[in-house]
Amino acid sequence: MAELKHKRVLSLWILTVFLLFVASIIMGILMRLTQGNAMKMDVSGFFEIMTVHGATMIGIWFVAGMASVHYLLHRYVRVTTWINLFAMVFTVIGVVMLWCAAFIGKFHAGWTFLYPLPLFVAWKHWATPVFLSALGVLSVGWLVWSVGMLVAIFKKYTLQQAFGWQYFKKVHQVDTPPFILITVVTLIGIVACLLTALLLLGLFFSEIASGNKLVHDALLMKNLTYFFGHTVANEILYLCLATLYELLPEVSGRPKWKNSWYIALAWNATMIFILFAFFHHMYMDFVQPEAMQVIGQLASYFASLPAVAVTLFSVLAFVFKNSIRWTTTNLLFFLGTMGWIIGGVGAVIDSTISANVFLHNSLWVPAHFHTYLAMGSVLMSLAFFNWVVFDFYNQSEPEKISRLQIILLLIGGFGFLLMFYLGGAYSIPRRFNVYPSQLSIGSALALAAAAFAVVYLIAIILINIRIVKRCIKIFSSASS
Amino acid sequence: MNPQHLNILILFIVMLIIIVGVFVYVYRTSLPRNTEGSGQSGLSNPNQKRFLFFVILAAVLVILLTATLPKTPYYYFANEEPAKVVFVVARQFSFAMSYQSGKPGTPPPNEAIELPAGKTVEFRVTSNDVNHGFAIYDTQNQLIVQTQAMPGYVNRLRWKFEQPGHYSIRCLEFCGAAHAFMESSFLVK
Repeated sequence: MAELKHKRVLSLWILTVFLLFVASIIMGILMRLTQGNAMKMDVSGFFEIMTVHGATMIGIWFVAGMASVHYLLHRYVRVTTWINLFAMVFTVIGVVMLWCAAFIGKFHAGWTFLYPLPLFVAWKHWATPVFLSALGVLSVGWLVWSVGMLVAIFKKYTLQQAFGWQYFKKVHQVDTPPFILITVVTLIGIVACLLTALLLLGLFFSEIASGNKLVHDALLMKNLTYFFGHTVANEILYLCLATLYELLPEVSGRPKWKNSWYIALAWNATMIFILFAFFHHMYMDFVQPEAMQVIGQLASYFASLPAVAVTLFSVLAFVFKNSIRWTTTNLLFFLGTMGWIIGGVGAVIDSTISANVFLHNSLWVPAHFHTYLAMGSVLMSLAFFNWVVFDFYNQSEPEKISRLQIILLLIGGFGFLLMFYLGGAYSIPRRFNVYPSQLSIGSALALAAAAFAVVYLIAIILINIRIVKRCIKIFSSASS
Repeated sequence: MNPQHLNILILFIVMLIIIVGVFVYVYRTSLPRNTEGSGQSGLSNPNQKRFLFFVILAAVLVILLTATLPKTPYYYFANEEPAKVVFVVARQFSFAMSYQSGKPGTPPPNEAIELPAGKTVEFRVTSNDVNHGFAIYDTQNQLIVQTQAMPGYVNRLRWKFEQPGHYSIRCLEFCGAAHAFMESSFLVK
């Protein structure tokens, strides 16, 4: 049983994530309603919301994954609470700064802040440095969190053991739980992309400090931006998969999954592939060396191989013709795996250079990443939240699944996503606040998407009511 | 919807149906009414089947790579001499297009563009300020090809327009508040 202070911090994380998630979904619905001409929004206001929506969604599901992994790490190693609190304080400060930069300072360069747009100030002058500083604060907080967890793991496991390399030998004496292996692999990627974020922010600030006399290379800045942005978004899912490996057998009343050579090999390969997949964001920059473009497609394709052959296959084999005690938790893990794979198919299509030439920056892009986030990692994180609120009291989760909630979730989620995919197929651009008359089908799809998103929101609220109530209880009981 | 977009959508929908079908089927095999008394207990020879699954998946990916990598846009019509070269300078929030390249420090030349049908043309695309997209929409308003407009770089895009008519150009890289209104057009005769 984890100590009370750990439960208290995790409760606070869950409550924060839930509140910001609901707010961000509402922002998304407002954007789709505006694109559907059902409401009018100031142009700057639309892109401020777009900036905040993207940054907040990535941020909250990243911290949800990190907080989940941090909680479960207590089973194997000694992790201190202070790094969790440190990350919490830095996250809150970062989010407040980011929202202030957008909603007060009118900053609206998008959460990817692609160089040099943030320096072409079309908002209050202080907003750009505050936005960039907000990202710096978040990066520092999360970097300390990641390194803290890695240090805790390496105090118990050697480098070889942490990466599961002993499974490549015939005989091994120490077992590495799959949860530890996946956590290490994921945290390495996170540390790499957060360090890159800090380098990128440093380059931005050097240009600002020089009065824009020091001009950086736009292609280099774009590579750095997407190494950070793409990798951090991908690692969110791997944090969720770490919790899936740890909890899916347990909540289903089955023996724990053991590590093996192919699991170790798959996750070591994933760690490498994922660091090179970001090149697919540069396909339409023809001046990028062609070798990098080809590496981008190879890495994007082969990243799916270990994921599908090991994780997907394991989940399906685990359920197939086995009597499973289905609860909300394992069902959400199962559905989350399905959403991740469907989003993965959309991603592999988009990462094909010859298809990207007519899909790049169309609605196909938000289609695929919303699929593996909204119907993949979000569901897996909710599975963890649902499990942990019972673990707080050392209780087993009752075998109760609300069919209504699941049906609303699937209809709302996939209906909303299908409008994005159709939009991509109809060449509707992403990040447009209004669609020109020639692309008016985009407005109709946006309206339908808004309606489905409302259904998704209702499902999310229904699923979270029990979680939120228990989190408030544990948080208030601990503080009294 | 033109054939290539439709094919992509159909491919995705087919994969979606297969994935959902597999998950529903596997889920149903785990329900108590389907497992109790049936004597079934999981997948037989899982590692053998996993290896087979891996090999099939790897083969599919290699086939797809082999089929798609030679079709990258970087060498479209590389062996042909372009009949026309169009210099494109993107800036917030418009495109300047000309048959003549501009001079540094002067406003980029801008003129109406007419291109020959059925002949290779080349666009040399750059930006004067932030990153922009240079996406060409056909006469049916479908995105057919694109490149990026990046400050400090020139992207060369070659294409052959078979159908005469008005083609639109849209910025597809978010470039600021009026991004959605940044468009231009040219005529193919």
